[in-house]
Amino acid sequence: MQMSLSPPDATLTVRLILNGEPVTLEVPPQAILLDVLRDQLHLGGTKKGCDHGQCGACTVHVDGRAVNACLRLAAMCEGQAITTIEGLAEKGQLHPVQEAFLVHDAYQCGYCSPGQIMSAVALLEDPEAATDDAAVRDAMSGNLCRCGAYRNIQAAIADARRHLESNAQQQGRQP
Amino acid sequence: MSEINDPAIVGHQTPRIDGEDKLTGRATYTTDWQVTGMLHGYPVPATIAHGTLEALELDEARAMPGVVDILHHRHFPELQRSPNSMKHGDQVSEVRLPFEDERIYYHGQYIALVVAETFDQARAAALCVRARYRREHDVRPGLLSGDAEGETVDDYSRGDPDIAFASAPVIHDATYTIAPESHVPLEPHVTLAEWHGSEPRLIVHESTQGIFYERNALARIFDLPAERVEVISHYIGSGFGNKLFMWPHAVATAAAARLLGRPVKTVLPRQQDMMSTGQRPASRQRIRLAADPDGRLMAIHHDSTSETSLVDRHVDACGGATPSAYACDNVATRQRLLAVNHGTPCPMRAPGEVSGIFALESAIDELALELDMDPLALRLRNYADHDPQRDLPWSSKQLDVCLKGAAERFGWAARDPRIGAMRKGDEIIGYGMASATWFAGRQPCEARVEIRADGSLLAACGTQDIGTGTYTIVAQAVAELTGVPVASIDVRLGETSLPAGPLSGGSMTTATALPAVAAATRDALDALQEIAVGPGGHFAGHDRASLEVKEGALVAKGQRAGFAEILARHRLGSVSGKGSAAPGGERRQYSFRSFGAHFVEVRWDPGISRLRVARVVSSIDVGRAVNPLAARNQVEGAIAMGIGMGLLERLEYDPRDARLINANLADYRVPVHADMPDVDVELLDYPDFRFNEFGARGIGEIGLTGIAPAIANAVHHATGKRVRDLPITIETLLDSPLIMT
Ligand code: FES
Ligand code: FES
Repeated sequence: MQMSLSPPDATLTVRLILNGEPVTLEVPPQAILLDVLRDQLHLGGTKKGCDHGQCGACTVHVDGRAVNACLRLAAMCEGQAITTIEGLAEKGQLHPVQEAFLVHDAYQCGYCSPGQIMSAVALLEDPEAATDDAAVRDAMSGNLCRCGAYRNIQAAIADARRHLESNAQQQGRQP
Repeated sequence: MSEINDPAIVGHQTPRIDGEDKLTGRATYTTDWQVTGMLHGYPVPATIAHGTLEALELDEARAMPGVVDILHHRHFPELQRSPNSMKHGDQVSEVRLPFEDERIYYHGQYIALVVAETFDQARAAALCVRARYRREHDVRPGLLSGDAEGETVDDYSRGDPDIAFASAPVIHDATYTIAPESHVPLEPHVTLAEWHGSEPRLIVHESTQGIFYERNALARIFDLPAERVEVISHYIGSGFGNKLFMWPHAVATAAAARLLGRPVKTVLPRQQDMMSTGQRPASRQRIRLAADPDGRLMAIHHDSTSETSLVDRHVDACGGATPSAYACDNVATRQRLLAVNHGTPCPMRAPGEVSGIFALESAIDELALELDMDPLALRLRNYADHDPQRDLPWSSKQLDVCLKGAAERFGWAARDPRIGAMRKGDEIIGYGMASATWFAGRQPCEARVEIRADGSLLAACGTQDIGTGTYTIVAQAVAELTGVPVASIDVRLGETSLPAGPLSGGSMTTATALPAVAAATRDALDALQEIAVGPGGHFAGHDRASLEVKEGALVAKGQRAGFAEILARHRLGSVSGKGSAAPGGERRQYSFRSFGAHFVEVRWDPGISRLRVARVVSSIDVGRAVNPLAARNQVEGAIAMGIGMGLLERLEYDPRDARLINANLADYRVPVHADMPDVDVELLDYPDFRFNEFGARGIGEIGLTGIAPAIANAVHHATGKRVRDLPITIETLLDSPLIMT
């Protein structure tokens, strides 16, 4: 017997926080978060490189954790906070990781960059993650860069870490 | 042509002008484009590699939600093939039109294109298309699955190698193979096609390295005047050669859009991208070297066979760099071609030469061992200080500086040449080195530059930025000649409505585009100067030649007028300059090549056979690097790709039926962050003004050449095993004499 792959017609209502704003979506139950972001919400910054969780180009934050948007149903995101590359810069100011990528030329074609940046931000914000170079390389290894800008990406992450730490210290000093 | 000596901006590290767009997600790649009313195409790939398509069952797929149409060999417009001429600018990657007949030549060949309202509807329906085939059993699974040699397509010889071999005291003779490799640009191939008007115009967004080639080919295929086809490619998720020339998905998509009267976008799924948009073909190379006991090369024989498909003839000329690599009087190369049931191969970064250099530079290392010589000393002993192939001087060759400088930074002198003699902890350390080289070419090119009312400039050229940094170097060139900061220069690329520019390929874009951009800049300055010395101008009555250009202003005898002021006084919105450039007679006087040296340290654990590249030290001579920040990045990226070629990458075709087994990014392994070693790249700065006024020869491919043989040579030093087949997987090292059992 052949199973029909025909998608059901019904849609689901999903409420989530997208880049800080509440959003209500009508999506078919099988809709993939990546396709919803790109095709329905016109947020093209999150890239598609494989649709199989093998390249990392689609990395977004779900409640602060880096997630492959191509492996996630939109319907699973009820009540969750999703951040995409478009939501990273604040008031037109590049996030320190974006700034470090620019300075270190941490990209070539740029197609992997949104995913690399989202993974890097999640890593830098993760208090449990080890911080030595080998651990960073390991943690970033789900984000392919076929252009091979790996060394500059690693340098940018190290630089952004210093920057974020000194920011945190300065804020700590303030009353 | 005035040489740009002592430049202020060219040759200096410059962050990319398109960087912020890329890093914030604003940059619109072809996959990101959406237009109103757009449909989605999803191809259906053949599941056999050799036979005939007997029937397609489409009823179930047609009944799926959102499906608009399904194109296939009985439902497809009558189109013409492209003449496929490099010279006439309509070369394509696969000449056969989609669905042209019912023959199946390779696994993944398109048998249908499903068009639906949404992407997931198209995909769901494509998975419901059923095909019935008649398989044929005389399948040709690949060059490396048999010993067929193929037909000779090219040869070269000088001197008399056979006599030299008959008398030579030392002979090395070995055969080297390289597995087929996939380009895997992170943005898959994608076409968005829309038709407008009753006198039809075709607009195509494509992730391509060659907008003009695609435009011309589409014009031939759809029988349109070229000016009614526009191809757009602003941002490209890289290419590495497989986006140079158009593939059939673009034709099928444009045909669907015309048939349905709506725009259609087809993004190839990764699996199909790997099956049907080209690969570096497998190669088998036999190298024979004859030498005297002092290591002087007496003869070189380089016989290569590479694969092509049954639908096209792609020649991956492996021996291309060999005739000019070493000072040697007797050299013969031969190239053979074997047609197999794979998708058509295509150029992949440093095509041909990178494969040939693996074989040659491995063989030189083996010869050094036979002669008991240092491999570096053997290379210097046979140094070609002029081009022995064309019997011409080099325009500029600093290979000796590269070899010695990189050896010094690497610590080559501290190498203990005995196998397995260097250890750290559980690991054995291996050192290896190889030379790098890539030809330097340029093409004709046109450009336009406008000086605008606000004093900013616009530079336009119909080439592409595939990630190499073309946007930025164009801005640097204009900034250099006008003194206007890079931030005030807009650069437009990637549209066929712009002046005709080159392919992004062959490492030729820099040397091709910048001289045209410079000519256009000077022409625009000329127009401005003419106005300034004319009636009512800031410099009325001055001799035009007395005007200098400084920091966005014209200056003479202590008087200064900014570009914006001049335009304002004459109520002009802008002035525009045109420029063109093409290679001239220099090619008859000099040979042009880039050079480099790679030194590699591998670490091998004889307990578990774990192998890694730990350190790479490289020196690269490309004349002048226009933007050293992006240029070094190119070399580092090439080193990453070289590690893939050396240790990881292999497309696997089933020897029984030629089906591609590992067309995905889990089973086809590309280097990841964790594979990246410590890298120290030095870019020499010997501007090659015989080549162009910027002294730049191009940077995209040179870094890849020589990495794989340097790794193989280091692996031999560490393990005692000479591996002549790429990739070097750890199981090949299990019978090393040093393995711990
Ligand atoms: S697109 Fe999601 S991991 Fe590749
Ligand atoms: S910059 Fe091109 S894939 Fe990373």
